[in-house]
Amino acid sequence: MKPLSALMDSIWIAENDLRQSFKSVRHVVWSLLFPVFMMFTFSFRYGAVGPDIEFINFLIPGIVGMTAMFGSINETMSIVWDKSLGVFDRILAAPVSSTSIIVGKTMAGATMGVISALVLLLIGRALFGVSFVNIWAVFLIVLLASFSFTGIGTIISGLASEPREAMMLSNLLRFPMMFLGGVFFPIDAMPSPLPYVAKALPLTYATDALRAIQAGGTVAVVLDGVALLAYTAGTMILGSQVLMRIMTR
Amino acid sequence: MENEIEVRDLTKYYGNLLAVNHINFVVRRGEIFGLLGPNGAGKTTTIRMICGMLRASDGIAIVAGFDVNQKPQEVKRRIGLVPDISNLFGELSARVNLDFAGKLYGLDKKTRRERIDQVLELFQLKDRQNDLVKYYSKGMHRRLTIAAALIHQPEILVMDEPTSGLDAQTARLVREIILDLNKEGRTILLTTHQIDEADRLTHRVGIIDRGSVIALDTPEQLKNRTEGTRALEIKILGGVDQQKWIPIMKEAENVDKVFLTEGKVRILSKDLSQIIPAVVSLVDRNGGKVESISVAQPTLEDAFINLTGKSIREESLSKEAYVKSRLSRSGLR
Repeated sequence: MKPLSALMDSIWIAENDLRQSFKSVRHVVWSLLFPVFMMFTFSFRYGAVGPDIEFINFLIPGIVGMTAMFGSINETMSIVWDKSLGVFDRILAAPVSSTSIIVGKTMAGATMGVISALVLLLIGRALFGVSFVNIWAVFLIVLLASFSFTGIGTIISGLASEPREAMMLSNLLRFPMMFLGGVFFPIDAMPSPLPYVAKALPLTYATDALRAIQAGGTVAVVLDGVALLAYTAGTMILGSQVLMRIMTR
Repeated sequence: MENEIEVRDLTKYYGNLLAVNHINFVVRRGEIFGLLGPNGAGKTTTIRMICGMLRASDGIAIVAGFDVNQKPQEVKRRIGLVPDISNLFGELSARVNLDFAGKLYGLDKKTRRERIDQVLELFQLKDRQNDLVKYYSKGMHRRLTIAAALIHQPEILVMDEPTSGLDAQTARLVREIILDLNKEGRTILLTTHQIDEADRLTHRVGIIDRGSVIALDTPEQLKNRTEGTRALEIKILGGVDQQKWIPIMKEAENVDKVFLTEGKVRILSKDLSQIIPAVVSLVDRNGGKVESISVAQPTLEDAFINLTGKSIREESLSKEAYVKSRLSRSGLR
């Protein structure tokens, strides 16, 4: 198959997935309400009167990373719904390579992660005036993080036999990652051995990099970016293997 | 006549379960070929292997001259698959669904637009083309699923249980569509568990049971294989529940098989002259009244019973009962 034609197949699959996600306004609103709600809840620190600006500056990068995680994993899990509704068969019956399907689903997941995170960023800016110095660096980190989360979503989709199982599996990963990934609490303040667990999670590197961008750091951003790149490669290779297994049974 | 599909020793294991057992058949160009068998006989697994969606454990399938294992993409390009369940995107309109189908087959924008207009017109969906598919009726869903399978103008149409779950009127419409598509020159491979459908639609039919093709011929030739067995149909009024006449009738001598069909008790026997008085007497003794009694022509169902030793309805019903009991035990029903 010609590379351009294979790429076009991936683009059509990604476009179709995103079209469905954005077609349902409720779906978009609900998926954004959760991080917005978390942002508001945690913007009030115990004992403080009104939102704590210093803490908000710490919180928003974490929430942005977390939103990328939820957006990407949710979008990729459409594979499980597609499988259960039989619509995945429609793609399998077409002359589209397994690689194109995986790339298409990954593109959709990563795009949703980036869009969700950037919308949250705008909400954070509008409500609390939080701004990032280098928006391109933010975009790059969010993109890398979204790809690694998409890889995780692909693994879940390949392993789960039906949507309920996928939801349980994803919650098993997302919620511990949300609380241990440095979104709400600094990792250094966590009791041992939690910091070691945190360092094994991609969300930790995403939040750390976003905070480093805000603080104007470069080395930390590059190191976190490399870690995210490694995660992206690892989860995507594993995710592709799992998905390939179900597509070529 | 040239072969469009050739299946040789095709086999599929799911773990230790043998789903398809070394089956062989050919589908000739331009014919409607049916795979007839009860649910779980291996029909869907067979067509999934033929369509390149499932890897065979053993054996080969050659479609339009291409080996499915070697050239799955070439095979997929030539097949239009209509699955048993509608596989359309409910959140998208008919037009967008068809456009996506066209994109997957590499059609350019202009061709897609033309073909979409053609199939929407053909299946009388033009006035609802922009409605979300989730608001479509079952019949419209079915028509759109067939339309999506035809968007790339395939040589072969593979249909899994094309009329399953449809009301009589829509099922009739779908059957007319199948015959029209065949008249246009398309080769059609369909699966069905409805004997009547196989009888009315197919040029040749393969009877599949427990993963094996046990007979293959034209419906007429299969009916002739009843080997002297003849059928008696009795309509009984009153007395016990219709289903309960089956064990009662089996008490009569020389009765080979008894089953219900269209509200009548059908008895297969090689010696009808002897059993007629016996069954009338049995009806009488059990409080029933014979409303009508007639000697019937052998049907494809009689042939199926003759070949498999069981009724396709019994097989499907026992599976249904099994699923219901599982659901009820799991608290889902």
